[in-house]
Amino acid sequence: MKWQLWAPFAALLLLFPGILWAQPEVKFEQYTLDNGLTVILHEDHSAPLASTMMMYHVGSKNEKRGRTGFAHLFEHVMFQGSQHVKKEEHFKLLQQVGANVNGSTSEDRTNYFESLPSNGLELAIYLESDRMGFLLPAITQEKLDNQRDVVKNERRQSYENVPYGLSYETIAKALYPEDHPYSWPVIGSMTDLSAASLDDVKGFFATYYAPNNACVVIAGDIDPVQVKVWIAKYFGPIPRGNAFERPEPQEVTLSEDKRLVLEDRVQLPRLYLTWPSAPGYTRTDAVRDVMADILSTGKNSRLYKSLVYEKQIAQSVSASQGGSEIAGELSISVTAKPGKTLTEIETAVWQVLDDMLKNGVTEKEVQTSLNQKEAGLVNRRATVLGKAGALATYFTLSGEAANINKELERFKGITPAEIVADARLAFARHKVVLSIVPQGKRDLAAQPPASK
Amino acid sequence: MTRLRLIFYLLLAGSVALQSSATAQETLDRTVRPKLGPTPEVRLPKIQKTELPNGLKVWLVEAHKVPIVAFNLVMFAGSECDPLTAPGLASMTATMIQEGTSTRTSLQIADELDAIGAAMNISSQTDFAGASLNCLTKHMDAALAVFGDVLTHPTMPEKEFVRVKNDRLTSLLQQKDRATTIATMAFGKLIYGNSHPYGNDASGTEQSIKDLTRDDLVRFYQTHYRPNNATLVVVGDVTMELMLPRLTKAFSDWKQADGTVIETFATPSVETRKLYLVDKPGAPQSEVRIGYPALARSTPDFFSVNLMNTILGGQFTSRLNSNIRERRGFSYGVRSMFQFNRLPGPFVASGAVQTAKTDSALQEFLREIDLMREKGLTAEELEYAKNRTKGVFVAGFETPAQIAGGLVNLVVYKLPDDYFVNYLKNFDAVTLADVQRVAKQYLDSSKMAIVVVGDVKTIRPGIEHMKFAPVVVTDVAGNPVGN
Repeated sequence: MKWQLWAPFAALLLLFPGILWAQPEVKFEQYTLDNGLTVILHEDHSAPLASTMMMYHVGSKNEKRGRTGFAHLFEHVMFQGSQHVKKEEHFKLLQQVGANVNGSTSEDRTNYFESLPSNGLELAIYLESDRMGFLLPAITQEKLDNQRDVVKNERRQSYENVPYGLSYETIAKALYPEDHPYSWPVIGSMTDLSAASLDDVKGFFATYYAPNNACVVIAGDIDPVQVKVWIAKYFGPIPRGNAFERPEPQEVTLSEDKRLVLEDRVQLPRLYLTWPSAPGYTRTDAVRDVMADILSTGKNSRLYKSLVYEKQIAQSVSASQGGSEIAGELSISVTAKPGKTLTEIETAVWQVLDDMLKNGVTEKEVQTSLNQKEAGLVNRRATVLGKAGALATYFTLSGEAANINKELERFKGITPAEIVADARLAFARHKVVLSIVPQGKRDLAAQPPASK
Repeated sequence: MTRLRLIFYLLLAGSVALQSSATAQETLDRTVRPKLGPTPEVRLPKIQKTELPNGLKVWLVEAHKVPIVAFNLVMFAGSECDPLTAPGLASMTATMIQEGTSTRTSLQIADELDAIGAAMNISSQTDFAGASLNCLTKHMDAALAVFGDVLTHPTMPEKEFVRVKNDRLTSLLQQKDRATTIATMAFGKLIYGNSHPYGNDASGTEQSIKDLTRDDLVRFYQTHYRPNNATLVVVGDVTMELMLPRLTKAFSDWKQADGTVIETFATPSVETRKLYLVDKPGAPQSEVRIGYPALARSTPDFFSVNLMNTILGGQFTSRLNSNIRERRGFSYGVRSMFQFNRLPGPFVASGAVQTAKTDSALQEFLREIDLMREKGLTAEELEYAKNRTKGVFVAGFETPAQIAGGLVNLVVYKLPDDYFVNYLKNFDAVTLADVQRVAKQYLDSSKMAIVVVGDVKTIRPGIEHMKFAPVVVTDVAGNPVGN
């Protein structure tokens, strides 16, 4: 079935509208260098482009209290040059061939990528290898201080000066036990960013930025024989790093609901309900993902239709299941219309949830969500960079790059009964209820319902 | 712990080890940079053109790599068509036509598209209204049926109009929360004033939205949403042979109407620099906009201005970003751009800067703009900008959405058929003298407006001390308030 979506006359498939779950296959080759670096190659010659996607299996969950935000600050430092590359030169060399260059840090992993015309591929491989092998000689106090200022400005720009911008860190702190690495935000706190030192940079680099804690995906218009030579030449000599201990999954349970109120410079109050949930790449994660679609994707989704379209007491709703490596979160957020309290909003949310738990969901709702997932997946596989990112992520976080071709299998056979049975478990757990209200308007916050 | 060891286990054992070459290690001199290969040939999309019986122009590009198809209908019905007294009309019309047809309710429209994972978006930009549809090729017929219906038989039910209007009024209220939105809106209003459509917020104002009637929208639709005022761009896993009968059917009821004339407005000129402060008490950063009305898309200086701006503020290693972010750490990132619209759009240098460094950051913004005006680029910088432009162009035709975006640009700005063919030649032809000239001509900071949205109490003394310009405090809409 898989090949059919790739058939040259795909439009003929209109004759067979029943075909579902055909997933475009991403063919790849994988091997490991002696130093432990995993290399994944994927050929796609449809455009003269190549992507280098470097992923290190380290993120904010490897940080210690007192140094929150460090994994991300370190990511910034990685762009400040290395022994053979001057400050600003990394970007200059790549920008002038037209590359799309960036990096990102999550709780679980950090990535660096270059997507560029294929004639620049060797340069990208060289630059990635130089900072993996030779970063420290180039890092000075001045560079660290500069990027510390930049990251503090990132925190101001993306969190502090944005309406509702502090919601997530407030929720995470309440949802997870104090020593849980998901209890602090990836961006970190200003105090901890100020405390980060050059010694921290050295220690972090030595522990986590080793070839055996990374993978590199080279995808696109490439010659695999040539790429293997370049990889061996530039990455081969970098020594393996020592083993280290990773944070383990731990059960997250609240002993009671936590109700929090945060005043913010906003016009409208917003309610956030968050439950501890399943980690990523699990069946439960897939089931809740579908349930979240049924609740809030599209005008006919249950929360949207009831609160935004019919009752018109809310301006927007969102429900999502976010599965990370060692835990997950199920969340609902609703922005109230002017004049509405979050108590009214919470009551209306529970009416929708109770109805779903009591009367179930329909086959059609499940199928709608699955069809959207299929379309989303096909679109995400349309770029070489998208495929490179997916291969690296599957390898790093699910343990096998081959899972890229099993994405839809996780969703196979999900039934309305499975969704409702799981939803009963999910929503029965204690949760964090955060009300963000305009300054001085604490009376708009959600009050605990008398009956629950 | 088990889980994590397992990952390491797979990493080491689940693959084939490749010998790294010992000789390569010994001889590798890392100070020698790899050489670039020759820039690959860009594979330009082959555009097929036709016209439906009702006058709707169709442009199609086959892209069979992925089983998706992207439809983009371009209509000359952007917010530039809003009467000066009724901002928001174009944008409300675009929203409302998705709210019901003679045979489908608002919910049915959404349901039919959601059920097949198709995404439809209808919205107005400054220069055009765009209706896009993205779907899997296998669902094309079902998706097109809804798309055609929405565009040709909208009923704009009164009940939905009341809801959408209320929704828009709430959005306008929420705009006051975002410093970036406030800054962009105030900047537009302050440099274009009240007698130019670019001075208005395309989403409208509280008053203009309240005043709009359903009839206003119906009239706007009847005037501007016409096949003879539109081009449909189709890119994806389809052929013209397959598409033509389907499009003819989907748009068969769409009738021509008398052509509309889009008004032209004189670009206001600014004589002296002014600095406007908008208060956002307690803000940890200041949102900065510096600029003035500048150039239309039709300017013959398009290529030289783009190269000049690439170095000034058009990419990460630009002078502005290198200075303000990478050297001084005042910001997470700053940039500059010329917004080439049908009428002259603004030049704007922008960014969010740390509250305590606002005056110093403004000084650096102005220093870089003035330096560019006085000295232009070095030969090395011009070469760099040309190389980057070439690389970005080569990378720009990968997905149906990217290709469609390029074609929409040709349609909206009436660019020639051989535009992409000559694109790189036009950039290559730009000389250092050209760049010098446009920098002098288009970067006159003595006439620019400076808009800063931030904590006025904290930033004002430093700003006044620097004597950039007379300081005017305005409200979020750009209207001066008492000091």
